[in-house]
Amino acid sequence: MSAPAIVARNITVRFRPLVDRKPTLRRSLGRLQHREVEELVALDDVSVEIKKGEAFGIVGRNGAGKSTILRVMAKTLRPDEGTINVYGKTSTLLQLGVGFNAQLSGRRNIYLGGLAVGLSKKEIDGRFDDIVTYADLWDAIDRPVRTYSSGMFSRLAFSVGMAIEPSIMLLDEVLAVGDEAFREKSMQTMRELLARAGTIVFVSHSLPSVAEFCDRAIWLDKGKIVAIGEAESVVEQYRSRVTHKTR
Amino acid sequence: MSGRGDCMAGRNPNLIPSAKRDAAGSLGRRGQDRPYLAIPTPSGGRDKRSVSDTGLWRCLSAVSSYTPLAMSAPPSTVRRLFPASRNYIRDLWARREFAWYLAMGNLKARNATTTLGLMWWVLNPLLLGAVYWLVFGLLFDRGQVDNEFDFLPFLLSGIFAFFFTQQSMTAGVNSITSNAKLLANISFPRLALPLSALLESFVGFVTSIGVYFLIVGPVNGIWPGVQTLWLFPTILLHLIFNFGLATLVARIAVPFRDLNNLVPYFTRLWLYLSPILYPPSFLEGQPAWVHFTMGLNPLNPFLALYRHAMVGMPVDLGGALLGASAWAVAIAVVGGFWFVKYEGRMARYV
Repeated sequence: MSAPAIVARNITVRFRPLVDRKPTLRRSLGRLQHREVEELVALDDVSVEIKKGEAFGIVGRNGAGKSTILRVMAKTLRPDEGTINVYGKTSTLLQLGVGFNAQLSGRRNIYLGGLAVGLSKKEIDGRFDDIVTYADLWDAIDRPVRTYSSGMFSRLAFSVGMAIEPSIMLLDEVLAVGDEAFREKSMQTMRELLARAGTIVFVSHSLPSVAEFCDRAIWLDKGKIVAIGEAESVVEQYRSRVTHKTR
Repeated sequence: MSGRGDCMAGRNPNLIPSAKRDAAGSLGRRGQDRPYLAIPTPSGGRDKRSVSDTGLWRCLSAVSSYTPLAMSAPPSTVRRLFPASRNYIRDLWARREFAWYLAMGNLKARNATTTLGLMWWVLNPLLLGAVYWLVFGLLFDRGQVDNEFDFLPFLLSGIFAFFFTQQSMTAGVNSITSNAKLLANISFPRLALPLSALLESFVGFVTSIGVYFLIVGPVNGIWPGVQTLWLFPTILLHLIFNFGLATLVARIAVPFRDLNNLVPYFTRLWLYLSPILYPPSFLEGQPAWVHFTMGLNPLNPFLALYRHAMVGMPVDLGGALLGASAWAVAIAVVGGFWFVKYEGRMARYV
């Protein structure tokens, strides 16, 4: 169980977003020569090693860099400095319904979403029934997805995300999907994944679920690591700081 | 680093080559965890010959499974200039079904809420042809083209070919920016997106060729024949050319969104400057610099080839094929490479 699944060393990510001040003609023309940017350090020299079979939580305030570090792990964002090594097939659920087209039927979207995450058409053919059964959407599968309730949409998206049978899952606040029954089912699936020596990295604002579900956790603030270690103790530290501040 | 050095690096137990874990029955497929943003060390591929045959496979598998795992930044200039083209093309090929489904999904979604639905595939080129025929065929009656060829087939063949290019550009310019969610979440060869846009417009173009013969067959007596076979090389070259344009505008539109607004004006100007609504002979009597400038239009050889295949107009075949090939390859190489080189930074702008 000690083999690493994700090794991040000295990750630094800087964003240089355009500053959107009150638009004036002078500013728009000025932009042609000199873009108004404000450097923003989203992650500052963050090193983390996540092991196989581990559920790893990430907590922190808004804008702490939680989603950024997930995107670095998903390899959709190249860090400005540092290296990231990921060992295993990764399923990324940073946003739900990636690759979906709301105008099209659920059936069509299973193919779109599945192909987007890297399955072949043949693989989706083989898993199609399982996906629909898991999402419990047999009676709505030929309806356009735009007619789905948000819970139905999330169920479908989560099922497609799980269909690639990942060994590493990157989750961003998506546990709060579907009704109670589906949430229980998805938790069960993730426990099975962990039992198979899979890895889950989990960003959440729900401190109880991080404390309960994760083995270890990291607390990020303004792109820096404040605490890392046992999930309960990290959550406890974070909670005490937050409540202290609000008082 | 020598090839042997790479081998050693791959076998170093500290680096946990995934090839080994695969052998031990791990979950991941080999190479699954390779990012597209990362580029394997160029020496890995080049020093193949210095490695013994038996060692070659082990070395390659170690290199292909290990080196790309590390996503170091920033990559060296060598790495940036020579991306892992072999791996890239293979991964792109693995995404062909995705590109196709994305294209067909967009086509279907566009007409999903209309009453006529799929009828629009045929109606679109029909109406397009009707509008231009009304204005340029009837209103500005030009009679026959060069006193020999009917105006209708001349107009339609040019318009349909041009709109293939125009559609490729308008779909291509949005292909990255409108798929921001995909870019932010999934790592795959980004070239799949402009390619999907190209497929989308290609399907429309093929339909319009069918519509073309359905119109000019009964009206002008032009039916598909041996001459029509010239369509195949023409369309192939045209596809390559449009691929280049689509990647070019997709690449530029990422940091420079203003291009979205500019493309429609640019294509309209291009339409009027191309010999589509008027024959090339229209320019007779103009000064030399006009001929020279108009001759630079990359669409000229393509249009000549289409008119040859679809209308039967005489054309300097060698010159047109050469011109079309040169433009197609030049634009595709520039667009394609420039796009791929920029891929790693795209996610930051969308």
